[in-house]
Amino acid sequence: MATDEKRQEILDKLRNAVIQYDEDTAKEGAQEALDNGLEGNDAIFNGLVSGMEEVGRLFESQEYFVPELLMCADALYAGLDILKPHVKKMDLGVRGSVVIGTVEGDVHDIGKNIVKMMFDVAGFTVYDLGRDVPLDKFVEEQIKTDSDLVCLSAMMTTTMVGMKKVIDNLKAKNPNIKIMIGGAPVSQDIADKWGADGYAKDANNALKDAINMISSLKKMKEEAESKGG
Amino acid sequence: MSETITPRERVLKLFAGEKIDRPPCFSGMGNVTVEGLKKYGYKFAALHSDAKMLADAAASTYKLFGFECGVIPFDLCVEAEALGCEINVYAHLDDIVYPTIKRKLIHNEDEMDITVPSDLTSRGRIPLMQEAISIIKKDIGNEVAIGTYVLGPFTLAGQIMELNDLLKLSFKKPDKVGKLLDLLADAIIMIAKEYEKTGIDYITVREMGATSDVLSPRVFKNLIQPYLKKIFSELKVNNVLHICGKTNDIAGFMVESGAKAISVDQKNDVAETRKKIGSEALLFGNYDPYNVLVSGTTSLVKETMRKCIDNGVSAVWPGCDIWPTVPPENIKAMMEEVIK
Repeated sequence: MATDEKRQEILDKLRNAVIQYDEDTAKEGAQEALDNGLEGNDAIFNGLVSGMEEVGRLFESQEYFVPELLMCADALYAGLDILKPHVKKMDLGVRGSVVIGTVEGDVHDIGKNIVKMMFDVAGFTVYDLGRDVPLDKFVEEQIKTDSDLVCLSAMMTTTMVGMKKVIDNLKAKNPNIKIMIGGAPVSQDIADKWGADGYAKDANNALKDAINMISSLKKMKEEAESKGG
Repeated sequence: MSETITPRERVLKLFAGEKIDRPPCFSGMGNVTVEGLKKYGYKFAALHSDAKMLADAAASTYKLFGFECGVIPFDLCVEAEALGCEINVYAHLDDIVYPTIKRKLIHNEDEMDITVPSDLTSRGRIPLMQEAISIIKKDIGNEVAIGTYVLGPFTLAGQIMELNDLLKLSFKKPDKVGKLLDLLADAIIMIAKEYEKTGIDYITVREMGATSDVLSPRVFKNLIQPYLKKIFSELKVNNVLHICGKTNDIAGFMVESGAKAISVDQKNDVAETRKKIGSEALLFGNYDPYNVLVSGTTSLVKETMRKCIDNGVSAVWPGCDIWPTVPPENIKAMMEEVIK
């Protein structure tokens, strides 16, 4: 096992690699983490994700913009690809699956991909339908996979309205399904009116919201377990 | 109405910097409505490839509600299609879904070295747009201003290649992206000049891909503005630069690009922008075309229009395309408030 000092050094390396969008260093750090016996989960959350949280802050304060965010995400994935095979299932205490996609008529998928990344790191099973997805496909896929969450994304006002239909259809089939919507034209007001459970107005908010949703799901799970146990 | 000049004259005077009785209420972006489609029994997906239908649908928003312009086209794929992309008009759907690019022209970084075909303006639907403009000019062109739009170079680049790649390359290899934008600026100038020949009154350059929600103001200044300058220095017809999303930090750069007017959406603090760019600069905006015009009450609509005027817009103008399901009472309330 690595000493505390060594562990911290590796975690900092992973964190900084993500912040400085340095894919090579992220790969190197991930390999070092494995070689030194760090838990995969530790390296992911206290290294890579910790870096991404800082990226979110930099984005919010307008030091970083979307190009930087995309490059940071590439660095995160570079590390994640190495670490993921070594992560024990259920590390987070959350077992979840999510259907995600950009609604029909919209070919913008950057926001969707950022949210997807967060679910990937959290160990969710992600059914990514891609972009320009026919509305019925979301409902079909949710039923087929029995997913807990459905995330819909639309970048433009002109495509946003398609999301309402999907929400109505999903809730009619399964009232307990959690639905998160996101994209530039979406507002809290729209999410409320249309009956979505979560909302993200841009890439950064998507990131935060996804983190929040994951942790609240985790908390729900813990509470259920403590009651049961 | 006891107004003494036509809506068209008012818009032309505005562009000429002359004094006018009130701000016009018009747009440089699509404004077809479901009511307009009903009037003619047209299906949205069928409009994009038929000049007469385009012209009828575009004129209907004026005919039904007095909205003070006629704008063609309705989709954002015209230039990309002429350059060789394949588009999807969603003909199988009854819902209103705007056309998108189905097949891109550039699939990876190595394919960025494209050339603009010399017969670009006779390709795709560009001749169709010219024909549609001629039809609408004859129909309502004496009463209201007729406009069209093109994409800005960066937004067009995002149509012909993966946006993901474009954004990363604009950080990693700005010279390479700059070269592509320069070439696309030439293509846009060629197309805009063809549109000028049809006698349009104004043209809007939509460069929403370069919003500060996506790119830093510094990148805007270094990588985007030079090619916008190139375009506006070549255009003779009245012109507008539209960027949606966060624009307060780049409003000055937008004016510097040489456009006659700049257009911003509801995310812009217009009172602040007005202070920054001075009282003479033409500033169009900035109501929310969905959350106000479609889903707001008539009193919210009126309040919002009043606020736009009080904050100092030169023309009351939407932040994006008018969403077709706009309730008739809301668009009427908007016109009433601006005209009163």
